[in-house]
Amino acid sequence: MNVLKVPGRTIAVFILPALLLYVCIVFIPIIVSFYTGTLEWDGIGDSKFVGLDNFKRMFFDDPVFWPSVKRTLLYAVASMIEIPICLFMAILLNRYVRKANKFVSIYFTPVILSVVILGQLWKTIYNPESMGGMLNGVLVWFGLDSWTHNWLTEPKFAMYSIYIVSLWQYFGYHLLIQFTGVQNIPSEIYEAAQIDGAEGFKADRYITLPMIVPIFKISIVLAFIGSLQAFDLVMVMTAGGPAHATDVISTHMYNSSFLSMQYGYGSAIASFLVVLCLIFTVLINFGLNKLERKYS
Amino acid sequence: MAKKMKTVGMVLAASALTLSLAACGSNNDSGNNASPSGSAPAASEGGAAGGENVSITFQNIYPDPTTPTAKALKQLVQEYQDAHPNVKIELDTLNTDNQKQKLKTQAASKQIPDITMVNPAAQMKPFVDAGLFAPLNDVLDKNGLKDTYQAGLLDNYSFDGNVYALPDGNNIEVVFYNKELFEQAGISKIPTTFDEMLEDVKALKAKGITPIAIGEKDSWTGSFLFMNILLRTNGGPGFLSDVVSGKKTFEDPAFITAVDKFQDLVQAGAFPDGATSIDATAGSNLFKTGKAAMFILGTWETGAIDSSSVGSKVGAFQFPTVDGKGDLNEYMLAPGTAFAISANSKHIDVAKDFLNFYTLNLPKVQFELKNAVGQPQKVEGDLKAAGYSDLSIDVMNMFQGVKGGDLAFDNTMVPAVAQVHLNSLQNLFVQKVESSQVAKEHQAAYEANK
Repeated sequence: MNVLKVPGRTIAVFILPALLLYVCIVFIPIIVSFYTGTLEWDGIGDSKFVGLDNFKRMFFDDPVFWPSVKRTLLYAVASMIEIPICLFMAILLNRYVRKANKFVSIYFTPVILSVVILGQLWKTIYNPESMGGMLNGVLVWFGLDSWTHNWLTEPKFAMYSIYIVSLWQYFGYHLLIQFTGVQNIPSEIYEAAQIDGAEGFKADRYITLPMIVPIFKISIVLAFIGSLQAFDLVMVMTAGGPAHATDVISTHMYNSSFLSMQYGYGSAIASFLVVLCLIFTVLINFGLNKLERKYS
Repeated sequence: MAKKMKTVGMVLAASALTLSLAACGSNNDSGNNASPSGSAPAASEGGAAGGENVSITFQNIYPDPTTPTAKALKQLVQEYQDAHPNVKIELDTLNTDNQKQKLKTQAASKQIPDITMVNPAAQMKPFVDAGLFAPLNDVLDKNGLKDTYQAGLLDNYSFDGNVYALPDGNNIEVVFYNKELFEQAGISKIPTTFDEMLEDVKALKAKGITPIAIGEKDSWTGSFLFMNILLRTNGGPGFLSDVVSGKKTFEDPAFITAVDKFQDLVQAGAFPDGATSIDATAGSNLFKTGKAAMFILGTWETGAIDSSSVGSKVGAFQFPTVDGKGDLNEYMLAPGTAFAISANSKHIDVAKDFLNFYTLNLPKVQFELKNAVGQPQKVEGDLKAAGYSDLSIDVMNMFQGVKGGDLAFDNTMVPAVAQVHLNSLQNLFVQKVESSQVAKEHQAAYEANK
């Protein structure tokens, strides 16, 4: 560990600012929100300690809670499934496309756009035909009138419509990460493999995949945790509506805390979200570490 | 190279973060200790003429500088500062949602701006209960301010006999309609019963015109419309207060009929496709750009409609009676957002003096700025002579005839119940629901949050 023979004190000095900041703006608020989760509090006036009532209500009496958890997890799974596709694209780009960097930059564009702009953009794409929605317009043009829907306002489709926007947006982000990972694999290895007769997808199977696992892991964790916390896009596009049909955990938390003014209950949901994120981070790391060991 | 870029990026990101933190910090500061606190002996505070420099923060919700209200604010603040050179009024201007958010956050730490803005009745109650606002009775008594307000209006801002906030507006809900589109659909007279309105909706729909504009992503818009129907089916105001006092429940026939009627409108295709993803502003633009024939909202929209491209073609009428019930002269009332003063303000006397000056002069300035419609105070002057539009004058005349009415759902019920209500109604836009089910949902939410 201490390769450079630096005294512990020096290390402490350098770590301390970040640690303090981390404790103050991440760790303490989390603890506090566990505590406020046990209160009945409107966020303004006096609060009353109610023990685990909020958690009980959350798990057993709230008709919105579990569906929103389900939607969130589905979101997370969908965004994880995206990563292997990104990796595949990255490999293809790296191997077959000259000036692949340009393509990666283009794919990256949606990431730098503000979510609010993206949301508005896709809202107009999804709009019903009578409001000039592009997607429905295209469907009608192809004579597929029966396929047209109010994508964002039919409870059956609304959530999936949002997933798609999010996947579209982050495609470039994960592609960039995977592409960088693929590029960083030294070409000598491939050359050596070529001499041994491993080329193309065979080389990918035995060289690229094992060597990309650490990068892959980063993407998976980022995608998973990011979508557990999904908030802004949902807020911009539907605000959780119609009638909770697109509520995810974080929008439900926001609505409970700030619109229903049940700050305590909102904190309970927040605590649940924290625990959920922790559990899944540990699980994913565990699973992928195993994968990593298997290959190395 | 790539690495270098990354480092540069990191540094940039870090400094952006630091800057934004610093910005937050200074904002809060101006809200909290609005003056060099050490040098403020309590005795000299009252004297605006005292010569000692004082600065107070005025949090407001007028971010659009082109609106008359924002112009009035700027003008009056300037006038006050000119008359009191030692007073500096710092404006903390936010849009409505952000302001609500910020105020709640500030309230959680008991640090609210010297002057801020809140919604009436149920929405301001938590702040009053928490002792954050100063009673304004003395402000009202000064210079006869109290008598300038319309009768009964201040009740919406009063708790235990004290007035805690002074409204910036008072509006009623009317039906704006586009005369030209009505003509196109062959409608010759404005509907006075709900059934006639339903027929008109169908006639408009048949011509491919969106009958009623709405932006139901902001779910209060649908609720505000629905409450009109309830006001009629209940035969008059007071349904929600009857529920609160235990005389009625949400499973009362008046409520169930209202839900049914509302669904009739939805089923007849009264609202634009995909209404629940349209936000309030976009919803009103459907009407203002001539795409929709009716728009049922508060009279605060009058000025904006007047100056829109369809302005000259728009008239207004009262929400029709439902099944012969209700009185046309009863309206959904929308007493405006109101100015309140922090009980912990370091310069409370200056804040009160300024607020007195501000509210006393507001009607005159608003009248000059052609914004006399929807003012909380009695406005004097000849509208016609001052060049007001026919629509404005019509609306003003409706104001004269107001016999009473109800406040919006979220101004009457606690927020938790209001949210259930808003979601429940939003649901009606996307699917047909048994009205008794809607009623049950409301009642259950009400009982859970009693």
